[in-house]
Amino acid sequence: MTKRPIDEITGTETTGHEWDGIRELDTPMPRWWLITFYLTIAWSIVYCVLYPAIPLINTNTQGTLGYSSRGELTKSLEKAREAQTGLREKIKSSSLAAIIADPQLFSFAKAGGKAAFKVNCVQCHGSGAEGSVGNPNLNDDDWLWGGKLEDIHLTIKHGARYEQDDDTRLSDMPAFGKDELLDKTQIEQVADYVLSLSKGSADASSSGAKIFAEQCASCHGETGAGDRSVGAPALNDQIWLYGGDKKTVIESIHNSRKAVMPAWAHRLDVETIKQLAIYVHSLGGGEK
Amino acid sequence: MTKPTQIEQFNVQAVNKGGAKKLFAATKKIYPKRVEGKFRQLKWLIMTVTLAIYYITPWLRWDRGEFAPDQAVLVDLANRRFYFFFIEIWPQEFFYVAGLLIMAGIGLFLITSVWGRAWCGYTCPQTVWVDLFLVIERAIEGDRNARIKLDKAPMSFTKLRLKATKHFVWLLVAISTGGAWIFYFADAPSLFVSFFKFEAPFVAYSTVGILTATTYIFGGFMREQVCTYMCPWPRIQAAMLDEESLVVTYNDYRGEPRTAHRKKHANDDAPQVPMGDCIDCNKCVVVCPMGIDIRDGQQLECITCALCIDACDSVMEKVGKPTGLISYATLKEYNDAAAGKPVENSVPILFRPRTLIYSAIWCLVGLSMLFVLATRSRLDVNVLHDRNPLIVKLSDGSIRNGYTVKILNMEPKRHTAFFSFKGLPKGYMRIEQEGAKLIKNGERYQLTLEPDVLRELKIYVTMPRSFLPQSDQSFKFVAEIPASEEHHETPAKFHVKKY
Amino acid sequence: MNHSTIEKNGSILLVLSLLVVTIGGIVEIAPLFYLENTIEKVKGMRPYSPLELMGQNIYKREGCALCHSQMIRPFKDEVERYGHYSLAAESMYDFPFLWGSKRTGPDLARVGGRYSDEWHREHLKAPRNLVPESVMPGYPFLMQPLKVHDIKAHLKANKFLGVPYTKEQIDNAAVDLVSQANPDSDGAEDVEARYPKAVVRDFDGKPETLTEMDALIAYLQVLGTLVDFSTYDAKANLR
Repeated sequence: MTKRPIDEITGTETTGHEWDGIRELDTPMPRWWLITFYLTIAWSIVYCVLYPAIPLINTNTQGTLGYSSRGELTKSLEKAREAQTGLREKIKSSSLAAIIADPQLFSFAKAGGKAAFKVNCVQCHGSGAEGSVGNPNLNDDDWLWGGKLEDIHLTIKHGARYEQDDDTRLSDMPAFGKDELLDKTQIEQVADYVLSLSKGSADASSSGAKIFAEQCASCHGETGAGDRSVGAPALNDQIWLYGGDKKTVIESIHNSRKAVMPAWAHRLDVETIKQLAIYVHSLGGGEK
Repeated sequence: MTKPTQIEQFNVQAVNKGGAKKLFAATKKIYPKRVEGKFRQLKWLIMTVTLAIYYITPWLRWDRGEFAPDQAVLVDLANRRFYFFFIEIWPQEFFYVAGLLIMAGIGLFLITSVWGRAWCGYTCPQTVWVDLFLVIERAIEGDRNARIKLDKAPMSFTKLRLKATKHFVWLLVAISTGGAWIFYFADAPSLFVSFFKFEAPFVAYSTVGILTATTYIFGGFMREQVCTYMCPWPRIQAAMLDEESLVVTYNDYRGEPRTAHRKKHANDDAPQVPMGDCIDCNKCVVVCPMGIDIRDGQQLECITCALCIDACDSVMEKVGKPTGLISYATLKEYNDAAAGKPVENSVPILFRPRTLIYSAIWCLVGLSMLFVLATRSRLDVNVLHDRNPLIVKLSDGSIRNGYTVKILNMEPKRHTAFFSFKGLPKGYMRIEQEGAKLIKNGERYQLTLEPDVLRELKIYVTMPRSFLPQSDQSFKFVAEIPASEEHHETPAKFHVKKY
Repeated sequence: MNHSTIEKNGSILLVLSLLVVTIGGIVEIAPLFYLENTIEKVKGMRPYSPLELMGQNIYKREGCALCHSQMIRPFKDEVERYGHYSLAAESMYDFPFLWGSKRTGPDLARVGGRYSDEWHREHLKAPRNLVPESVMPGYPFLMQPLKVHDIKAHLKANKFLGVPYTKEQIDNAAVDLVSQANPDSDGAEDVEARYPKAVVRDFDGKPETLTEMDALIAYLQVLGTLVDFSTYDAKANLR
């Protein structure tokens, strides 16, 4: 290589180009800068070997470390789950009463139940367990099958009217209209009476009251207070699963309602069901 | 005339002489010579004090009772607390630290406007540690000339032994520097034990490793380059200096023309060549840790460590001239003296608009922080209304709202607190964690707050059907600690409308 | 070849410059032809229904993406808060994509089905009524009727960009648009058939008019609900 001319004034090399007597200085990079630059190049090569880097036709180079951000996520989730094994085991082996008595287990169970609820239950009961038409609100104090921890646990385990489960909660209200047990006028009369129960203006001498006593009281109780052992809802309160207007009540009497809740015993593990029961019980309406 | 004898002359040029520097060329090593004098004494003193503060602080104890650590200064990252003697800071109070940093910045401006780069020359950790490393280097390899000779000599057993010893001691210093740092972040005595048992967390070892490396490299090798190339302060400084800034000044009106071979001239009978006081011995150059020649004037590299003043004064004393050929002086003083005007004593003018403004801002920040600190509440209450469902209708037709209430007891003491709500007549609340008891509007419920923790309560507020308000109702949750006279009211909303 | 030869010879300079630019171009452009490879093979993704598409337009018009991302990154905290991390497949029918880059508000990639229509409606009208600490502006004007000039053209334009709308979907776009917000209408079932998992409801609580609120809530309620994760092969899509 030919030696390049040196600029007299600065003492550094020039590029050797000359334009009308003007020459271009070729001042070298500061050393620290150059060293840093070479280090970054060296690191980029190391990085390309270790980590996914270069795009290919169908995929990309995978890197020798086997890193992937989604893989890392799986690992961190597994790690978190592993850290919970002790508590999960404890929940599995403890009784419901024992779990809520232990503050640590209780808060873990509630959090776990909340997470499981978000995955399994929100589709019907809503993300805040606020329920919707036909799907009960789990925050309130009105329970079809009982609001004690054990009751809730049993309902989650076996479901309601879930035929595949032999221990399922079963209630079977006749379809009074469809099966022609009552005629249209009678249904209307009894509907009026049921609505008056809720308003607190029930007239025991009305014809609706008579029909109610004959047909409904065996399950719903003489005062309409309901019977949790057969899943008969209270009719004298302010909460209506399907709606508290006359049309809806008539429809309920005419067709009966047979909403189904699946049994979760064979889908979820023991501890998850326990956690779910504790979570639902903790929503504000749980009974002691 | 005193006979100027035994003045060592150094035939050198400053390593970082203006114009001689090439960024692409390998850095030339600087071999600062040992010097004695009053500024050197001051630097020894400051070095001892600052190093002592750094190494000893984490070992100081401060009793905070049984619920908080007893380390006087502790940055407890794991528990998100910062302890500084009598002050305890939670993460949300981090603005105190921001305020301290602002004060540090303004303080630096203030110092600069009065004493120039006093920070750089005396207290900057880089300066202090480089000084420490140089002491070690001198003790092992000898002073300037010996070191130059050693570096030029071919490798030999002696050279290897000296070099190895030096680097070993340097590394020890570096490790203890990095090691001291971690004690600010954990209980020092217990970490000390676990560190040597290799039971400390990995981050402790990695931190020590990194800080050891930086101390070793910055103090042993990069030294003045850190100040010149890496640190932004010299550049900011250059913009901040003014006529009143104290800088290390070579009084050239007195020193020039330099006359190296004074003896010869003195004996001449020939007409006297004008002679300045500078005998061009270059002692100011060889003692400079930054490798500059102060006689070229004020420079970016100069950290105003004043070692050249010490060097020059010692020479001036020997040649029987007044000291102060190189001195701390402002540009104004220098100009006055050069023009032959009387110079007032070299005392920085403290009361200038600049210094007053800096002091005012500094005090303002400091006082407002003190005020906030003195009046800060050690009890905090946050209320979160349930979002889903917003309201719950109960079977008797009453409406229930759910709240998550977070009560922070920021004191390391167990407290008896009273919790209540007001603004919802006929309403009642239930605290889930406290059982089934119904608490009426205005009724105070006694709670125990554990020391230094956040207590989360699930609270249900219910309005009976017959007393339901027409629209959403604002009310307040009240938390009180009678013992510390804390009273906290947090607004909340009761929803009745179904959205 | 000498440096000065190249500099002093125009044609050679031109040819060599072209060569350099070509290499750069190939490196930058060629991977785009294989972009399809980066999209996971999933079940359930379908083009947006006409009403959802209009909702997305409102989402774009109001600049929702400035404060809300639609990109759940594969980190533990995000997955625990928002749900399964976002897949490339989930935004393949978005033109432009609405990943966003700033979360002043929460991520919305899986907001579908998480809240009720009523909640969305009231929250969009007056956010602080429901979330007191919210800094979101209110959008009460969304209750105005939805103006659509030519929904068919809209679908066609999307099809041009690569969204696989069928002829049937394009032809029935105008009916589907209205039917999705009216579960009692004749076309309601067709919407569900043409756009599986589509939510057919009166979103805004005003059955008589089709409002912008209908469209926006329909869009929000479908976000992140389409992919069938029970058949998603996470191992095959590690990246």
